[in-house]
Amino acid sequence: MTRWVMVADLRRCVGCQTCTAACKHANATPPGVQWRRVLDMEVGEYPEVKRVFVPVGCMHCADPPCMHVCPSTATRKRADGIVTIDYDLCIGCAYCAVACPYQARYKTDEARFAYGEPIASEAKRFDPGRLGVATKCTFCADRVDAGLAKGLKPGVDPEATPACVNSCIAQALHFGDIEDPQSNVSQLLAENHWFRMHEELGTDPGFYYLWDRKEAAA
Amino acid sequence: MKVKTYCYQCVAGPDLLEVEVEDGVATQVTPNFDAAGIHPGGGRVCVKAYGLVQKLYNPNRVRSPMKRTNPRKGRNEDPGFVPISWDEALDIVATKLKEIRAKGLLDESGYPRVAASFGGGGTPQSYMGTFPAFLSAWGPVDMGFGSGQGVKCVHSEHLYGEFWHRAFTVSPDTPLCEYVISCGANTEASGGVVGVWRHAEARVRGMKRVQVEPHLSVTGACSAEWVPIRPKTDAAFLYALLNVLLFEHPRERLDVEFLYKHTSSPYLVGPNGYFLRDPQTKQPLIAPALEGTFRMPAVEIGPDAEVLAQGELEGRTAFTAFVEHMRPYTPEWAEGVCDVPARTMRRIGREYLEHARVGATIVIDGKTLPLRPVAVVLGKTVNNGWGGYECCWARTMLAALVGALEVPGGTLGTTIRLNRPLGDRHASVKPGPDGFMDYPLNPTDRERWRAQPNIRNAYKTLVPLAADGPWSQALGPTHFSWMFLGETPPGLPRVTYPELWFVYRTNPAISFWDTPQVAERMAQFPFVVAMAYTRDETNHFADILLPDQVDLESLQLIRVGGSKFIEQFWRHEGYALRQPAVAPAVDARDFTDIATELARRTGLLEAYNAAINRGAAGVPLKGKSWDFSLDTTKAHTREEIWDAVCRAASADLTDGRETDGLEWWKKHGLRVRPFPQSLWYLFPTLVEKGLRFELPYQERLLRVGRELARRLHEHGIRWWDAQLAEYQALPAWKEFPKLWEAEVVREGGRAEDYPFWLLTSRSMQYAWGGNVGVQLMREVAANVSGHGGVIVNAKRAAELGIAEGDTVEIATPRARVRARAVLRQGIRPDTLLLVAQFDHWATPFAKDFGVPSLNRLVPMSMDLTDATGSGADVVRVSLRKAA
Amino acid sequence: MSFGPNPWLQQHWDWRAACNFMFGGAGAGLVIAAALLEDSRAAIALGAGLALVGAGLACVWAEIGRKLRALHVFFNPFTSWMTRESFAAVVLFALGIAALATGAPLLRIAAAAAAAAFVFCQGMILFAAKGIPAWRRAEVVPLIVATGLAEGASAALIADPGPGVLALAAGALIARALAWARYRGALADRRAAAVLEPAGRALMQLGTVVALALLALSWAVPVAVWGVAAAAVAAGWRFKFVLIARAAFNQGFAIPIVPVRGARGEGGRP
Repeated sequence: MTRWVMVADLRRCVGCQTCTAACKHANATPPGVQWRRVLDMEVGEYPEVKRVFVPVGCMHCADPPCMHVCPSTATRKRADGIVTIDYDLCIGCAYCAVACPYQARYKTDEARFAYGEPIASEAKRFDPGRLGVATKCTFCADRVDAGLAKGLKPGVDPEATPACVNSCIAQALHFGDIEDPQSNVSQLLAENHWFRMHEELGTDPGFYYLWDRKEAAA
Repeated sequence: MKVKTYCYQCVAGPDLLEVEVEDGVATQVTPNFDAAGIHPGGGRVCVKAYGLVQKLYNPNRVRSPMKRTNPRKGRNEDPGFVPISWDEALDIVATKLKEIRAKGLLDESGYPRVAASFGGGGTPQSYMGTFPAFLSAWGPVDMGFGSGQGVKCVHSEHLYGEFWHRAFTVSPDTPLCEYVISCGANTEASGGVVGVWRHAEARVRGMKRVQVEPHLSVTGACSAEWVPIRPKTDAAFLYALLNVLLFEHPRERLDVEFLYKHTSSPYLVGPNGYFLRDPQTKQPLIAPALEGTFRMPAVEIGPDAEVLAQGELEGRTAFTAFVEHMRPYTPEWAEGVCDVPARTMRRIGREYLEHARVGATIVIDGKTLPLRPVAVVLGKTVNNGWGGYECCWARTMLAALVGALEVPGGTLGTTIRLNRPLGDRHASVKPGPDGFMDYPLNPTDRERWRAQPNIRNAYKTLVPLAADGPWSQALGPTHFSWMFLGETPPGLPRVTYPELWFVYRTNPAISFWDTPQVAERMAQFPFVVAMAYTRDETNHFADILLPDQVDLESLQLIRVGGSKFIEQFWRHEGYALRQPAVAPAVDARDFTDIATELARRTGLLEAYNAAINRGAAGVPLKGKSWDFSLDTTKAHTREEIWDAVCRAASADLTDGRETDGLEWWKKHGLRVRPFPQSLWYLFPTLVEKGLRFELPYQERLLRVGRELARRLHEHGIRWWDAQLAEYQALPAWKEFPKLWEAEVVREGGRAEDYPFWLLTSRSMQYAWGGNVGVQLMREVAANVSGHGGVIVNAKRAAELGIAEGDTVEIATPRARVRARAVLRQGIRPDTLLLVAQFDHWATPFAKDFGVPSLNRLVPMSMDLTDATGSGADVVRVSLRKAA
Repeated sequence: MSFGPNPWLQQHWDWRAACNFMFGGAGAGLVIAAALLEDSRAAIALGAGLALVGAGLACVWAEIGRKLRALHVFFNPFTSWMTRESFAAVVLFALGIAALATGAPLLRIAAAAAAAAFVFCQGMILFAAKGIPAWRRAEVVPLIVATGLAEGASAALIADPGPGVLALAAGALIARALAWARYRGALADRRAAAVLEPAGRALMQLGTVVALALLALSWAVPVAVWGVAAAAVAAGWRFKFVLIARAAFNQGFAIPIVPVRGARGEGGRP
């Protein structure tokens, strides 16, 4: 079995939003829609305060609340763990959006462009099928699938890897198969302390945050 | 289709990228993974480069050449720009240039009639094609009208850094460093992809970085520890660290051998503060020990070669003088100044010393070198204006004390801009006086000192350290060009308006200080030619707008790799090509074509082509065994010119074996050869040439300062006296913060009514990018705190009744701005922060941001100008909730 | 606008979605109450109830992004309470219209059962919305059911203040108050609790105390049933509007620990 997951190393992330921008390029999302973005958080009070940058997006949960509530079966989970939306089935009720505890889903009812009217690059890639339906991070499933078809390894070969991971200038984002104990992500999770966000909600998210090396905190 | 190109929108470039082109439309930017093994940031691309597609198709671009129809200039005057043909536009400019040439290149005050301003850090040079060849063919041009140079750069580091260790920019040897003290250096925002990449690696490896700064920046966030220091007191903090190292740890913990053999520490300082010299050779006398007082036959020579003392003279070593100088600067003393607990400074001093590993070595490229994995880096506001000298000196001394200067793991200079040859730090290491490196100080002796400035900011007259290289004009007191237009101080020829001003990739009406005054001056410029991307606040005052092709439309080959700005030191060096990914989106022309056409129309074609042949396009076209020189009598197309440059670059990299031209480069985008890591370190070169670092004692600067004082006083110039006091052999702490309080009083206010320090901080999304009109940048930058308003300490805001999102007024006695309050914990209660520099009123898209800029509030002030001619990006303000 | 990390008001469901809960709940309550009414009065309550449910669904239809695909709502009966609500609505309308057409009491009872299922589904819709802490509590289900019943039964008093409906209304009003108290006790989201508090207070004071007082008064002054209906419905609708559109703060983002950046011992739990 395969389960694709994302690993974000919070020690590395600098909040530069390069992944945010790269995702917007790769997925041609309209203004305001950020399938991948990085939060700028503060923890504590002056002067004992820490500022932390936290990449977020769809967590591709193993038990996704968005899928359970979807009345149209547009949201599904693939065998490899990627949670998908069928834009042709979705009725745009946004129930999934309120069911997602990670605020990962967007719905755009009207076409939006950077400067009002579409510029050439936007016109080229505009997809009316994305209007009025739920959208979110796909883990760049098309790239993953196309890469696999070519015999490439997602998370290792850029051509088969999500755009945000490819773009990361701090090597904070990693993608791979958590079911494969030899994979990059399995190794990172074995060597480091990690947590998942809102673990208590029981969604079994496929997005892991590294925060320290293992031997040090022992 | 994927097109390989580069982004050099900021000094921390270049980033090597690929542009996806579908049916002739550029759709996305991706890293160039072919370069992953060459580019030290894994071939990744900075967030700014993702704005290039929108930059290209921005509907607000200037779509054709334009000319002004409203002769009145002013912020509230509509310029009345109307489209004209390229032919007409170039004709108007060329006619003006020919008129000027006929009158003479210099005006009645002796200043160049033509001026030019380009954006920060030399980034426009990676986009302006062969325009440098045109300027070279033209003759004297005043490039001293600042757009940010001197006020927004690490100015003291540029000058003193280059003086002491060929360090126009300074970086830790991040790949090997283990402990970094960073006084406000915002590496994670301004260090580019390589800086971010390397520091992330270092963090995971366990490198500790202590970030000392008033607000918790992006870099502070990524550091192990944040020390919230009172603004402009960093020198006190660094002095306390020196004190700890000198007085609280055994001397042998320091790198005594390094100090004795490779610095001026054992030189003897005479009774008048100058080195004791051998009566015959006039060379400095070297004591038999690092510390102590010694008597011997000697001569002491002061300014203007005056003999101050001779005979049997007593001198103490420079190191002893230094130790005694540092004695009062205890951590307890510093605590009162900089609001950092003494125990914190003691601990940081101890940690620094422990991590320095004095005595350790490492083998690099087969050479055994010292390993000293500790570094101290300084940020912008620490590093310019008053206190910059003290901070730079203390930082460099911290490195010297443990032998961590220019050695693996330590504090490194990464590029030079004032010494020659520009491309090679090591070749610039030439023997100078007294066993130190040579440095092209502007002369201060009676015969050669220049009473008549060559340009309006008078850098040769006032700032010896600014030297006289191609970058020196921009490293003088660039605000003086603007200030003196209003009133020229006595002793200088009246500062005149340039008859023609070229502006490219810069917007001083936004990016300088006292922007209303700068705009007012600009409105008086008789003829302004602006290379224009969109309308903006500076080209609002232009007479001609020339839309040059933007990043993804134009063609240029640049040098990459080797050792360049900030963290850009590579294990490769070579060239990269920027090439048109798509056809121009508007009626714009490649800058090379514009330059060629201006040269042709002004009758300068031969000199222009000759300049290209000499290397004005980045590579000399004639080499050891190759010659791709252009026929100087003809106007060449941009393809012809860059094909020749490409061939020369191929030959240069392969010793003449390969001569691939433009077509090859278009396909491959990049060609490099190895650059040995050992070349990152200057120390072995100094050893090899038998030279010492000119530390700790600044005898040469002391002498230069005294001479300069005499020259200026001989010419009736007294208004530079405060600056002359900076020339101290061992700089003492001065009450720097008080200078800004005094400025409040000068402006007619009471210091206690303006209790906040207003600072700024670079935004990675915007720094240097000229991309405020790009929607994507606005969108993603909004995810980083502070882009929407002024950052205020949450508790302090609550005391003032200010809630998140409230409109607040920030004021000086002279000016006021409004902003939305952004409440954060990561800022001192006495500090406010405005990220980046917005405040646009003409640039489409950006003019709707509603975010103010510190630049409107910071005065251009002689009193706040230090001896290097720079000021700091800081101002005292009041804050209240707006009605 | 930049969102996060702290919870913010969800932007996906606005007044249109709220109306489905307001109208649908009251409508279902009316249909349930109609089962207790005599034939001639029952038709009014039943008709009004169906109309309200229909209006609520129309509001939802107005909110969805792909209106022509509305029938896709039926595709996921296995896990989606929205699909189940839709099925319940279909059954409710089929039985309700049949009851109206035939006047058969058994059909009214059957319609009432469908209405109960419908309003239960509405409660479950909120319960299943894991992204909204104020909704995802199990205690929200009885509250939604009780208020629907309280609103509907109180409104049905206007059609026929008979003892059965009176008892139902009184019981539902008390049940609603208890459900609110139980829900409020369980609600961990302090921001949502603060926003809900005034609406909750009105639910207790106007919607319970005043409504019950008027109910008692209606023994003597029959026209007071109008007051009961107004008080019960106004308080219930206001509460549901606030719950859906004003107190629906999402989960936000939080990290249980801060990363260790570079040095040892500087990271750790906040």
